[in-house]
Amino acid sequence: MNPTLHLGLAALFLLIPSGLTAIWIGSAKDRLQEAEASPEAQPEVAIAAAADEGYCAADLKKVLRRVLQSCGLLSSGEVRGCQPLEAKNVATLAGDDFNALFLPLADRAGIIQFDKNSAELDAGDTALLDRIFADQRGGSYFFVVARSSPEGSEVVNRALSQARGEGVLNHLRATFKDPDLEKEVGLLWLGEEFAQLDTEFCKWQRTGDEACQPQDLNRSAFVAWIDCQL
Amino acid sequence: MGSRPFLLVFLAAVGAGMVFAGFSTADFVEHLDRQVHSIHCSFIPGLAEAETGASGCKTTLMSPYSSVLRSWIWGGIPISLPGLAVFSFLLFRGVDLLINRRPDDKEPALFLFAATGVPVLTSGVMGYLSLVELDAACKLCIGIYASSAVAALAAGLNYRQAAAAAAEGTPEYDNFDGSASPWPARVSSFVVGVSFVIVPILVYGILAPDHARFVGTCGTLPKPKDDHGIMIDLDRNASGAPAIEIFDPLCPACKGFENRLEASGLMPQLNRKAVMFPLDNTCNWMIGSSMHPGACVVSEAILCAGDKAGPVIDWAFEHQEEIREKTSANPDAAANMVKAAFPDLASCIGTPASQTRLNRSLRWAVANQIPVLTPQIYVNNQKLCDEDTDLGMDFALSRLLAQQNGGR
Repeated sequence: MNPTLHLGLAALFLLIPSGLTAIWIGSAKDRLQEAEASPEAQPEVAIAAAADEGYCAADLKKVLRRVLQSCGLLSSGEVRGCQPLEAKNVATLAGDDFNALFLPLADRAGIIQFDKNSAELDAGDTALLDRIFADQRGGSYFFVVARSSPEGSEVVNRALSQARGEGVLNHLRATFKDPDLEKEVGLLWLGEEFAQLDTEFCKWQRTGDEACQPQDLNRSAFVAWIDCQL
Repeated sequence: MGSRPFLLVFLAAVGAGMVFAGFSTADFVEHLDRQVHSIHCSFIPGLAEAETGASGCKTTLMSPYSSVLRSWIWGGIPISLPGLAVFSFLLFRGVDLLINRRPDDKEPALFLFAATGVPVLTSGVMGYLSLVELDAACKLCIGIYASSAVAALAAGLNYRQAAAAAAEGTPEYDNFDGSASPWPARVSSFVVGVSFVIVPILVYGILAPDHARFVGTCGTLPKPKDDHGIMIDLDRNASGAPAIEIFDPLCPACKGFENRLEASGLMPQLNRKAVMFPLDNTCNWMIGSSMHPGACVVSEAILCAGDKAGPVIDWAFEHQEEIREKTSANPDAAANMVKAAFPDLASCIGTPASQTRLNRSLRWAVANQIPVLTPQIYVNNQKLCDEDTDLGMDFALSRLLAQQNGGR
């Protein structure tokens, strides 16, 4: 055995794992330094946020913001709701245009139909309401738009639609006990005076009889989560 | 040099072992830059592209068994580094035997054969852990195991050939350095072998970047309070540091994190609560397409189980892949599976109340503006950096806990 050759080989082969380790670590260190020097070059991770869907057009956001602010929700946290006259003002839209804003919500919304002259929720109503409220997903605001059919006096219908809207809200309060509810719900009662629903809305998920007449549709509360960020 | 076919086979096997161990070590070391990397997972690692997705090699690399001394150094010392060093030592001894020794020099041939016991024994242990504990087939690891076995067999046959040549040739005992006893040479060879392992480890320890400076710098939760009772107790360890884990029961990384945490011995120092954050778009609007189909339903089941969530989580971890696959084919599969496994929860899963609770978990995530990924852990409201949740977990979490105990 040649001892010099033996030692030379030992040194050479010891260099392989040691040298490779040094090279690999050096390379990792360089990349680490580069990453620290330019953090903006790193891949961005999405941050959890409420949904903001394509249907959140400028007009819908304007209505949403006005309902939440003007009707005493966003700032004070008190659920006061908007009365028909105020609703017209905050919407600044014709009734048909107002309803059109909500058309893209067909899959998200429901129409809770009430009996004539009634603001009582039956079992079918509460089941649909609970299902729609539980399906919040990324929705930030829950809209309750209560109406009444044109039969009877405006004053009575105004009071009736208010009772319907508040009936929905009271049920949600009692069932879900959500401390954020007051900040999330936008409540409008439109009476018979503004934005009556036409038969196009008969196809939406709703309670009440299978036969769908405009007056049945408008003895109702329209409920939907709105996936808009303001 | 004479005709020594077994020695040549030995050299080829050891060379192959070096290649497998080298790629494995290089893949591990790449992660010291705190970034996500693809991993080689092939029987011909130099020719096949590194893979970015899940693989047996990734599972093994991210497991608690891929390295040692994890609390001492970020990620620990990769177990493949001493493997590379041992193969390098064996290659040195084999080449020395080939060009610097006579064919009838049976003592170094015996030492060579004995030395192959180290990779063979290690391969046996690691192979068991990989297949039984991790249920993962890592091709690079299998390459190392196979190389070790072939090298041992070839070294044994080479020794037999040398012994036969010695018996036919010189009658006197032919040891390493010509002294009467073979033991001094054996001890010196052993010491050289140990040096082959220690020197690269020291190089690694000295040169590895300092990751301690990142600990405690990754932010806090602005609204950590659980106003809606959405958090699930994971540890029930009142003496531990309060921690919040962002959790998806069908996320392989969460399962890996749990395994690493358990293996780290740090679990008793934590009192974790989980916030469900399923990466499944049936409930989570922040996800474009479902990464973990079925995770929403299983998360609901965990929320429904409340205090008894432990067995549901264990079940979900155990059946992660099956649940995801079956739910991809049939959206009702996860609900059917979890209801069959936990009939008591059947009446709760899918109800407006449980869906609302899960939604509140997601809205808690929105309120806290957390990144859309799992797992994440906040200890005393201080985030363990995302880059520290896998290989560097033991290192970073132990330091984060020490920072908290130090009253920072």
